[in-house]
Amino acid sequence: MRRSHRRRISAGVRYLLLSLWGIIAFFPIFWMISTSFKPDTQWFAWPPVYFPHPLTLANYLNVWFGAEEYAATQYAISSQKPLVSLLNSSIIAGISTLLSVLFGAVLAYGVSRHRILSETRMFQLLILRMIPPIVIVAPLSLYYSALGLLDSRTGLVLIYFLTTLPYAVWMTKSFIDEVPREIEQAAEILGASRWRTLFEIVLPLIRSGLVATFLFILILTWSEYLLALILTKTDVTTLPIELSKYQGTTEGRVYGRQAALAVGITIPLMIVGLIIRKHLARGFSFGMVRR
Amino acid sequence: MARVELIGLSKTFGGIAAVKNLSCAIEDGEFVVLVGPSGCGKTTTLRMIAGFEDPTAGQILIDGRVVNDLEPRDRGLGMVFQTHALFPHKTVRENVEFGLRMKRMPAAERAQRVLQVADMVRIAHLLDKMPNQCSGGEAQRVALARTLVTQPTIFLLDEPLSSLDAKLRRELRAECDRLHQVLKRTFIYVTHDQEEAMTLADRIIVMRSGEIIQTGSPMEIYSNPINYFVADFFGSPSMNLVAGEIVAGENGARFRSTAFEIVLPLKFRSARAGAATLGVRPEHVMLGGTDGIELPVRLIEPLGRDTLIYFDAASQRPFIAVSEGLSRTDIPLGTAVTLSLAPDRVHLFDADGRRM
Repeated sequence: MRRSHRRRISAGVRYLLLSLWGIIAFFPIFWMISTSFKPDTQWFAWPPVYFPHPLTLANYLNVWFGAEEYAATQYAISSQKPLVSLLNSSIIAGISTLLSVLFGAVLAYGVSRHRILSETRMFQLLILRMIPPIVIVAPLSLYYSALGLLDSRTGLVLIYFLTTLPYAVWMTKSFIDEVPREIEQAAEILGASRWRTLFEIVLPLIRSGLVATFLFILILTWSEYLLALILTKTDVTTLPIELSKYQGTTEGRVYGRQAALAVGITIPLMIVGLIIRKHLARGFSFGMVRR
Repeated sequence: MARVELIGLSKTFGGIAAVKNLSCAIEDGEFVVLVGPSGCGKTTTLRMIAGFEDPTAGQILIDGRVVNDLEPRDRGLGMVFQTHALFPHKTVRENVEFGLRMKRMPAAERAQRVLQVADMVRIAHLLDKMPNQCSGGEAQRVALARTLVTQPTIFLLDEPLSSLDAKLRRELRAECDRLHQVLKRTFIYVTHDQEEAMTLADRIIVMRSGEIIQTGSPMEIYSNPINYFVADFFGSPSMNLVAGEIVAGENGARFRSTAFEIVLPLKFRSARAGAATLGVRPEHVMLGGTDGIELPVRLIEPLGRDTLIYFDAASQRPFIAVSEGLSRTDIPLGTAVTLSLAPDRVHLFDADGRRM
């Protein structure tokens, strides 16, 4: 009796702490959504307004569709083209992530099956990622300028692809390691070439893992800020850069507009996550190949 | 034609020799079983023939042609794996069809061949299932079908039955035998199960520590084991092996152990004195006689037609005799029984385990 009593108390404490943590973790998201529906008078109101009243779509209409009648005239805003940024972000993050996962998987296959990289090299690959981007970004912008890649989608795709490749290799390798070699050898002896085996047998078997890797890297490239800031100027703007431009000249940040933009930035990731959630659960639990 | 020849084949893994200077020939249409305890190099040998491992030294010839540098797919082989290795994301039909697709066979012909083979190994009802919906025995049949359909000239089978239960194993063993007789192709079969080797093989190659210990037909291996290891490995119940020594006596050499002492059969009359092991199969131990062996009965095990009688021979291994139609109550436990050995079926192994 005493034991079950104690267990119930400890469960209660656990739930209390987790609930507290949940509130702390989710409050910013709640605040972002709430602010995105607030009229400008409530952005800085004290005491804070948690649930905007009246609800307004002005922030969204103004930010996303440039509806002039909702423009907050007292704020001078340096950019008004979030839809273009959305397109840029989609293209840049999408292509660089696809490239990263594809090349990463092929490379990981080589590492897993043919040891084209030693353990040390694999570790060095990861260490490369520990160099802070700020260290390389200045010289990189010089190279980019010389190569004509500055302020171009190609330039960002290239650098995102290269900087996320180590993650892709590491993640996909752990999935490929799980595929029994005999399955591959069976394909090989039945007449399949190496590439055929890779694309028809190995990659389909680890598709959940590939999807998990894809989402992980998409989140990185979708929200990357520093490299995009330095390597682009005016022609190519991504959503995180766009977000930083909603700054008033006199009155500080344009919170409502920023929140509406931020919600828009978050939604695509959530949609992707929902579409592939079936794979995510399996991908992150590894060992999905039935022997 | 499909003759496989191995010449001086060796394989070392990081300084450890898995296969040592192995040479043998497997004739066209022969069913050869490589057998030995785990780690004896039998699977490594098979994998070298398949092309999944590169030999450290030596040559592999298929029909007189050195294939060392050929890719597995170019060697004209079919292989069945221990874990069946079906493609989990493809249906049974797609699995079976795979090899034909790789050969760019037209779809209509493929479908026909798949059905033909499916009938042959009785998996026609499984074609639209996924591999994980098949039982262990069914999965192994599918794996067989997947290999059969490409009509290889040489079949490599790597412990294909070891993951199945006893009844299924017997059933599929018969299936393998039947397929070999129908197809008349070369089969190279790896197993650690001596019973499988005995029942399937035209010829058995016994391996240990990367070397061939003995080659011969199942009956040769069973009746004339070349050394202690082979004698002990084959047969169920296994051969009676009694440690002792050979001593000179007035009527020729005698064998003396802690439990008994006998005059050795004529063929061993000139055997040199010293430590030795006497071996005799249980079916060659007769109750009664005048050999001077008298051992107490420890256990009687009726197996139906035969009855195994375990005697106490003052060693860790029991001394076993087979008798037909004896029941448990015929001899009370502990009774000392006189035994004799069939003289031409007695084996002697020297201190190094070699047959004398």
